[in-house]
Amino acid sequence: MIEPFTDVVPSFFGLLNQGPLTLTIFLHTIIILPMFWIYFSEKKKLNK
Amino acid sequence: MAEQPKSVWSSISFWRRSAAWVTGFAVVLLIWLTFDTIGQITMGTDADLQNGVTKRVPAPTVINYNIKYEMNEKRGHEAPVIGEKESFFGKEWSVDEAAALLHLGKLTSQAKNCMNCHTLLGNGAYYAPDLTKAWLDPAWNNDGPMMGMTGKSTREEAMAEFLMHPSKYPTHARMMPDLGITAEEAKGLVAFLKHMSSIDTNGFPRNFGKEQGGTYAK
Amino acid sequence: MLNSIKANKLQFESQKIGMMYFRVAIILFGAQLLMGLIAAIQFLYPSFLFELFDFSVARMVHINALVVWMLYAMIGSVYYMIPDETGREVIGAGIAKLAFWVLTAAVTVVVLVYIFVQVGSGTEMTIWLINEGREYLEAPRWADIGIVVVVLVFYFNVFATYLKGERTGVMTVMVANLFALAGLYLCGMFFTDNISIDQYWWWWVIHLWVEATWEVFVGTLAAYALIKIIGAKREIVEMWLWIEVLMLFGSGVLGLGHHYFWIGTPEYWWEIGALFSALEPVPLVAMFVHVLYDWGKEQGQVEAEGGAHAINNGPAMAWIVTNAFGNFLGAGIWGFFHTLPQVNIYTHGTQFTSAHGHLSFFGAYATILIGMMYLGLQGAYGIKNMRATKLSKWAIFMLVFGVLGMAVSLTIAGYEQVLVERAELGATWEAFFTAQNLIWYVQAQGWRLVMGVVTFVGFALLVVDLLTIGKKEAGE
Repeated sequence: MIEPFTDVVPSFFGLLNQGPLTLTIFLHTIIILPMFWIYFSEKKKLNK
Repeated sequence: MAEQPKSVWSSISFWRRSAAWVTGFAVVLLIWLTFDTIGQITMGTDADLQNGVTKRVPAPTVINYNIKYEMNEKRGHEAPVIGEKESFFGKEWSVDEAAALLHLGKLTSQAKNCMNCHTLLGNGAYYAPDLTKAWLDPAWNNDGPMMGMTGKSTREEAMAEFLMHPSKYPTHARMMPDLGITAEEAKGLVAFLKHMSSIDTNGFPRNFGKEQGGTYAK
Repeated sequence: MLNSIKANKLQFESQKIGMMYFRVAIILFGAQLLMGLIAAIQFLYPSFLFELFDFSVARMVHINALVVWMLYAMIGSVYYMIPDETGREVIGAGIAKLAFWVLTAAVTVVVLVYIFVQVGSGTEMTIWLINEGREYLEAPRWADIGIVVVVLVFYFNVFATYLKGERTGVMTVMVANLFALAGLYLCGMFFTDNISIDQYWWWWVIHLWVEATWEVFVGTLAAYALIKIIGAKREIVEMWLWIEVLMLFGSGVLGLGHHYFWIGTPEYWWEIGALFSALEPVPLVAMFVHVLYDWGKEQGQVEAEGGAHAINNGPAMAWIVTNAFGNFLGAGIWGFFHTLPQVNIYTHGTQFTSAHGHLSFFGAYATILIGMMYLGLQGAYGIKNMRATKLSKWAIFMLVFGVLGMAVSLTIAGYEQVLVERAELGATWEAFFTAQNLIWYVQAQGWRLVMGVVTFVGFALLVVDLLTIGKKEAGE
């Protein structure tokens, strides 16, 4: 399941690179996800 | 401030907090990536070269080795191949000598403003050819035009001669100007070019020097 | 513009300093275009000024004048907006004026050395005194240090005034963004033998300036200008500004990866650079929508109340709308063309890059900065409602038409170069010249020169307009 490294040396980010777009979608996701928390905490503040 | 907004989507504080988070986290990721990358592109050592350890940016003593640029099946693109030892300007350069020569070459490349006509690793101006793999250019082969024109017997000597008197050896109407490059500086520049050709550029430029001859495009 | 030195209705020293910066900026803009014309001629007639004033020199001054005039106009814009945003005079106006003269003297010396000394020997001395030989960051090290000192003075002015005055959202973004913008310059101030590491940090300055902090700067200026010119509602403008900051930094910071495809850096940058930078046009669309939306909304409101114009400064608004669209077209579309690694392996370092560079620097930055100059003139002459003259209209038309024409010509040249030099012949010395000498390429370079002349005429008209519009309209 894990793809072999193609790059010169293995690295953490190389590990996440498991096929087309996997690394970049992972990074986008962890950047966007916490915004849900920010959204709900703002909503709570508004309802007060 | 004005009255309370009705929806989170139109609240300034939601967007301000989100902007701060996204920017901050992107910067943290960039710094992490930078540490990882700098580790990988730091120059290797002479021992790496002797033991056949592949480095993205090899040690300056790479000038003592034959360099090729070949298709690598595992990588899926071309990559530099460091081969047998060969002499460079008629000798083998020690670790200190090679480092000093590369230092002189890199300094000269900046002092003579190479980058404002040529591109290095594809970056620069677009008035003159890309120099990323210039060391490997077939024009400098034994049967290539430059060797005959400069009357030298090795690639490095022909390149150095050209760099010292470029407008004496025009290849096209667009010529390289005489920049007052000395013999020592020219040697340094050739070492700099040879070193640059050994850098693993992830297959850029593609197909370098594979096709010979002209084009039918008119 | 010159008359504004005497007949000055500006009440704040800060705004007068802003005008000082604008005046130098426009002179450097002219120098940039002249150098560009020389370089464009050399593409067609390589013997033009050969070994006298070579392409490398013309090109170096061309891009340095570009960066410096934009920084001048940016600093000028900040000094100009400080009193409006913070509601008070700038702190340390005296030292700000001193810094202006020091910077201007240094820039003059640097340019004279570029033009008359040109290159040095391969020693550290050259890098300290003549030029650093790194595209865009050619300024010798002594000037680097001088620039840092001047910028520190400038930042002190801005920050101290911000702390003492009113702290609007627009000003908060400005202060935070300027901190990053100024700090990044330090990444370009060292020498290394390792060209990969050299270019790694070099891109931190170049990319994180023009595709991150400068873009946020433009967003902030547009926010300020919309409030000032059409009376847009501050709450709405500031909310948009935060959304723009989120999207610009969210895509732009890691979008840096698209410069790390081929300089020796690891393969994982292909993915990071591809998607993050592919999203860079999104905020630019948002900015365009925002400007048009606010304009339409305010105009509608004014008409509903029986008025005629929501805009109190015609030429400035025209340039800001041009900016909104030019930013999207030049930086967004032309950038996206070649940002994916699959495409970029062929287009990297061709006239494609040059086409993108011309259209994006003009569309994203030159436009709004010219708009700010018109805003400054309006203040300097105390004009309530500044209308575009015939000259202002001709100037904006010729400049836009000229730059767009250059970008299209260079794109065609780039296509030809990519197909023949890169794809067909494999990027060698001979491949390069074969492509450069093909008739389609030469024709495209010919059109580029023609369009360069059109741009220059547009610039001349712009200067005449800037010099006369204030007096003309103040007299009416």
